[in-house]
Amino acid sequence: MQKSTSAPSAKKPIDADLFAQAWGLPPVVRDWFVGKNWAPRQHQLDMLEADRSGKSALLIAPTGAGKTLAGFLPSIAELAVEPFDGMHTLYISPLKALAVDVARNLMDPISDMGLNIRVETRTGDTPSSRRQRQRFDPPNILMTTPEQLALMLSHKEAPKLFGSLKRVVLDELHALALSKRGDLLALGLARLGTLCPDLKISALSATVAKPELLREWIGTPKPEREVAFITNEGGADPEVEILASDDRVPWAGHSAQYAVPELLEIIKQNGTTLLFVNTRSQAELMFQSLWELNEDGLAIALHHGSLDVEQRRKVEAAMVAGKLQAVVCTSTLDLGIDWGDVDLVIQIGAPKGSSRLLQRIGRSNHRLDEPSRALLVPANRFEVLECEAAKEAVKERAQDSEDPQPGGLDVLAQHVLGVACSAPFNAVQLYDEIIRAWPYRDLEWEQFERVVDFVATGGYALRAYERFARLRKTEDDTWRIAHPKIAQQYRMNVGTIVEEPMLKVRLVRSRGQKRGATTGPIGRGGRVLGEIEEYFISQLAPGDTFIFGGEIVAFEALKDTEAYVSRAVAKNPKIPSYMGGKFPLSTYLAERVRKTLATPKLWQALPNQVSDWLRLQRDVSTLPGTDSLLVETFPKADKFFMVCYPFEGRLAHQTLGMLLTKRLERDRAKPLGFVASEYALAIWCATDIGAQFKRGRLSLDELFDEDMLGDDLETWLDESSLMQRTFRNCAIISGLIERRYPGQEKSGRQITMSSDLIYNVLYEHEPDHILIQATRRDASRGLLDIERLGTCLKRIRRHIIHQDLERISPLAVPVMLEIGKVPIFGEGRESVLAEAAEDLLREAAGKH
Amino acid sequence: MEFEMTRSARTPSPQQYEGYDLPFAGVEMVALLSGGIYWPEHQTLLVADLHLEKMSSFAKSRQFLPPYDTGATIKRLADDVTATGAERIIALGDSFHRDEGTTTLSVDDADALAVLTKRTDWIWIAGNHDPATHELGGNCCESVALNGLTLSHEPDAKVANQIAGHLHPAAHVRMNGRSIRRACFVQDETRLIMPAYGVSTGSLNILNSAFAPVINREQMKISVIGRDQIYPVARRHLIGR
Repeated sequence: MQKSTSAPSAKKPIDADLFAQAWGLPPVVRDWFVGKNWAPRQHQLDMLEADRSGKSALLIAPTGAGKTLAGFLPSIAELAVEPFDGMHTLYISPLKALAVDVARNLMDPISDMGLNIRVETRTGDTPSSRRQRQRFDPPNILMTTPEQLALMLSHKEAPKLFGSLKRVVLDELHALALSKRGDLLALGLARLGTLCPDLKISALSATVAKPELLREWIGTPKPEREVAFITNEGGADPEVEILASDDRVPWAGHSAQYAVPELLEIIKQNGTTLLFVNTRSQAELMFQSLWELNEDGLAIALHHGSLDVEQRRKVEAAMVAGKLQAVVCTSTLDLGIDWGDVDLVIQIGAPKGSSRLLQRIGRSNHRLDEPSRALLVPANRFEVLECEAAKEAVKERAQDSEDPQPGGLDVLAQHVLGVACSAPFNAVQLYDEIIRAWPYRDLEWEQFERVVDFVATGGYALRAYERFARLRKTEDDTWRIAHPKIAQQYRMNVGTIVEEPMLKVRLVRSRGQKRGATTGPIGRGGRVLGEIEEYFISQLAPGDTFIFGGEIVAFEALKDTEAYVSRAVAKNPKIPSYMGGKFPLSTYLAERVRKTLATPKLWQALPNQVSDWLRLQRDVSTLPGTDSLLVETFPKADKFFMVCYPFEGRLAHQTLGMLLTKRLERDRAKPLGFVASEYALAIWCATDIGAQFKRGRLSLDELFDEDMLGDDLETWLDESSLMQRTFRNCAIISGLIERRYPGQEKSGRQITMSSDLIYNVLYEHEPDHILIQATRRDASRGLLDIERLGTCLKRIRRHIIHQDLERISPLAVPVMLEIGKVPIFGEGRESVLAEAAEDLLREAAGKH
Repeated sequence: MEFEMTRSARTPSPQQYEGYDLPFAGVEMVALLSGGIYWPEHQTLLVADLHLEKMSSFAKSRQFLPPYDTGATIKRLADDVTATGAERIIALGDSFHRDEGTTTLSVDDADALAVLTKRTDWIWIAGNHDPATHELGGNCCESVALNGLTLSHEPDAKVANQIAGHLHPAAHVRMNGRSIRRACFVQDETRLIMPAYGVSTGSLNILNSAFAPVINREQMKISVIGRDQIYPVARRHLIGR
């Protein structure tokens, strides 16, 4: 808290009592400000004013503007005047660490002022005895998370507990509002809206593209309350530069290896530096490469979500203590706690979106009046264009905008069960409450009924489970849970975050240097390095090496939920490919990149090697337009390639690749495979596809017609493993299948297997079941990015430019280099079996 | 080691069906993509581990999984019977996920099953999941001896020339850095273990120690069920546990 107010507010001297009185603060609070020689900022006073005039409020301000104090000032001002019995203010943060940090920072001024205000936190780490006590004897200010709110609401004491509540403060709302956690939170707020007559909701957010939307989001639970809109856009402009390397920027890849020596030099010259990368595997690789050349022994650490919590806390503590020169990190450090003085933020690889970049830049230098400094390091030539676009966007403070989706039905199912656990409900009354949660404001009654039906008995057309119902309708027309055990089940399953099946990675002594040796004891009881997706481990044979936690290790064996590894030396260890953490290029930046490509006079800003590359492309082929799609065809090594450049991100391109290959197969063009990058898609065929376009045997307009999102998509969804993975999340959130905790189940694979089977059976027999609907909703944004592909196909309709070339074009080089490096999706995997079978037949033939 | 798989179109009945030669213990067998085996000489369809009524068995603990698996498995059986013209079905145990399953069939599923038990000579071998006998048509027994082969639920190292189920074999095949896991037939010179036939069944990697006592690794032959084809695969391409 001190930190956030430490900047002197106004230029005026703070000497007159008169001046301080104008703040309108109770004397004890005013004296505290004066005693510190500080003055409240205007937006902090505005928040106070809004609260006093009975309004909810949305405060939009950059990091370091004293947002948190602004959020709590109305509570402190009120509680300082009149002691309060019960819970007065509920603070909700997306991160439990942030809740704990904010509580600590709030307790200091409260004790300085000598106020008798009880502040406590409640997270998953809070001892259960204290959580139990908080249900009956709550503090005045409680700091918690959306999941804990849902849990508290599911108890029968909820009406009493929250009845006295005056204010809710939502922190970092921009990070929550449009996600499933946001759906859960919105439902919780709608509930609070019913339980607390006096509720006012204040939200704190970083700058967003559509503040109006957040304002509505906050206002919906209490429609009669006005929402004040308060901003503080101040602060110095960030200084963003792009690394101008003397070395050649590579054609493809994401690791930015070429820049490592320069990065070390830059780290040496600066104080604490944060190096953000986009994925955990890139973090591992970058950390490894930095240390290979780190002759000066600079203190460089690694921080990402798969590392052991202990390990992460150590890094964080060292950073706060100023002991680290640099930390290589992922989005785990995007949000939240102030990690001390960061001098420079380096973004490795393209930033993917301007909002994320602005957030990351904000991690450096938490003082408003000094500019934050950031350096962008493109990992390949396309990323140079993307970095340039992002730099411009930062200059204009332009934000990416995402259109909201209707709330998830899986989250709604979870909430409905939670409501039933606290008390029997009347369906009509509950529906009226739920449409006061902003994401569900347009929910139709029929949909709601189906969700209730799903919660009660599974909601199948074949009504097989009536006698096992979880909810039963009673004579007074209320729904109640059939057994107290159901509430216990619900509480085990609260939340919308579903982890991939993970295994602990434990370091043990090797059982021998001989590869493939299977005798000898495996050492036990070594240190846990962290967690890794089971999917990755299942691809390994004993003896295979990979990088984890910055060390090269060899896979030894699998024991229950742990992967045993030993230290190893290897030239080419694998890098775990994590499922999560890959962000697609934002629509906004994609648009800018397309514009730069299409506008040669903008190329002046680019390094020579990049503008030369584009000029060459213009000479031998043509440049992609802003609203058209360039399709190039050319032969290479007895195959025929088709490369197109939609710039819609890898996920949308993968879906496009899948659908196009299906069509080409049907048209007998014999597609053999495809590879998708962030910017382009390459498909290769056994027939001369370019000639077929030219002769009119194949039509590009028909090939790229939007109707591929109809039947073709359906046939594909039927068998897509991406859809199965999406379904698993919905099935767990909705409570169809139970979340498993370590020790309960031998391995996550069994759950994955069974949820795949459940999906297959359900999709085939009841494709309009609400869980399939929920899965589709997620797939249209998530792993399949169907929505974006749809927008793209609409944009380029009848604007397809075909270039039939004799050889590969300069622009096609990067995506062609990806071939063999990234997995080829879908049926491609089945070819593993064919290859293995051929191998066996060859061997059999050889022996004869 | 001689092991070759040839796609064969056969016409034992008016219909054609697709299968893959799977010779075992000197007997001509045909592996089907469904996971069943057709024995042309006896016009017999062998299936293992149907696990009917598996999804519905979770309802007691209030997990309401889609109750469509039984119908889908029975349809799979009906399709195989139509395609091969089989006159006999031998189900190698764990036909029901639990004994109560025989009483929880929906009316439609029970009717579809009755059509098959009437049309064919049906033999239910008892499994560990469904040890009890029942009255769903056909005959219930512990094991079947046919033409020098023993058909039973659990593989048993003491029995020669045995076809069994129970273990739900799957192969995790790795080749050129990519991998895929699929259900498979696994056999040595004296035993053949069938994949689970039911649509809701999981699987167990054939490198798991459970296979060690009953399948000789040196003689192991693996036939992996792909999307449109069955592939013979060598042991050295397997990974997993």
